[in-house]
Amino acid sequence: MKKIFLIVVVFCFSLSGCERDDVCDPETSTTPMLVIEFFDAFLQTSPKIINNLAIVEIGNTIGFSLTSGIKIKIPLKTQLDVTKLRFIKDYSNPPNASTNDDVLEFNYTRKNEYISRACGFKTIFTLSPGLPVLTDPTANGTWIQGIVVVQPNIINENETHIKIYF
Amino acid sequence: MVLISISMLSQNTKLENKEKKKDSIIKIERYGFRFGLDLYKISRSLYDKNYKGLELVGDYRIRKNYYLAAELGTENKTTDDTRLNFTTKGSYLKVGFDYNAYENWLDMENMVYIGLRYNIGSFSQTLNTYKIYNRVTYFPEASSYSSGEKFDGLSAQWLEFVSGIKAKVFNNVYIGFSARVSMLVSNKKPDGFDNLYIPGFGRTYDGNFGASFNYTVSYFLPIYKKKNVVALKNKK
Repeated sequence: MKKIFLIVVVFCFSLSGCERDDVCDPETSTTPMLVIEFFDAFLQTSPKIINNLAIVEIGNTIGFSLTSGIKIKIPLKTQLDVTKLRFIKDYSNPPNASTNDDVLEFNYTRKNEYISRACGFKTIFTLSPGLPVLTDPTANGTWIQGIVVVQPNIINENETHIKIYF
Repeated sequence: MVLISISMLSQNTKLENKEKKKDSIIKIERYGFRFGLDLYKISRSLYDKNYKGLELVGDYRIRKNYYLAAELGTENKTTDDTRLNFTTKGSYLKVGFDYNAYENWLDMENMVYIGLRYNIGSFSQTLNTYKIYNRVTYFPEASSYSSGEKFDGLSAQWLEFVSGIKAKVFNNVYIGFSARVSMLVSNKKPDGFDNLYIPGFGRTYDGNFGASFNYTVSYFLPIYKKKNVVALKNKK
């Protein structure tokens, strides 16, 4: 009986030494970003490398850049149902002759979902029917030739949501 | 001649009886119902504004060393975490037995015991506020969202291993302490949230195991007495 008692006491103390898991594990699926893949406007099935792409929120001075690649992830606003972003091709400061600034407006609905105690909640998005609205603020023609919504339900970052042809 | 021998025999047995009495004492064991409450939950209710709790405890002696034991409690706790704030409300019932491993001297009535409980809890969770986790923080974020969504009709069951002491301080009043290690057996979680805290069990995010304790003060209500002949150790 004394032995059992001792085991219980030791077990109780060992439990109190457990550390709380307060940090959100990086492997956990949290608020997904919008995955955009770039394709050739003529050879529609082949991905095309885009150089010096900058994606910046209107009115913001910092943003996301892709020096050379075919895919980029960008966040959507979790407080609003719309995110407007400038897609600047051949970005340079100051702009040169080939720099082209297009604006894409993404409309969507949001849903907040529970993840865990350490991570809290995440927002998942559903893109509104129809295509993101493309405008050309610099009036030098749009470099974006076409947009296709592949997956309107943005619940993870494992798949491409939008294809941009240029 | 025969008569004499019989009387001799009876004398012998009488002597034996006398010797037996010398080597044993008669203890009067009291049986009854003991009830009380957990002082920790009451005192915490006073100093912790996010906590209201009450636990009634009771046991009934069924055998010399065995007691039927139960706890009935209610808790209302608001947990304020970095990413979540929620309120858990509910009650629980713990039923089982205690085994007293302590050999009392004379008229002492103390307990050093171990025991087992089967516990059921019924509760609700209310999500007050939460934060959205964004791995990339580019856009300004809401500090937190308020929800107020209530998740009703939740329940859990768990097993608990108890070890503790109860000491008679005066007359029929006892004070006690017990430490408990518990293991969740079933846990009905809400759809779209979690049971991060279960009344009577505690927090659930350390796995299915939990630990708790209580400090009790209780009153013993004697119902009947039993004579118990205790043999003293043979000195021969």
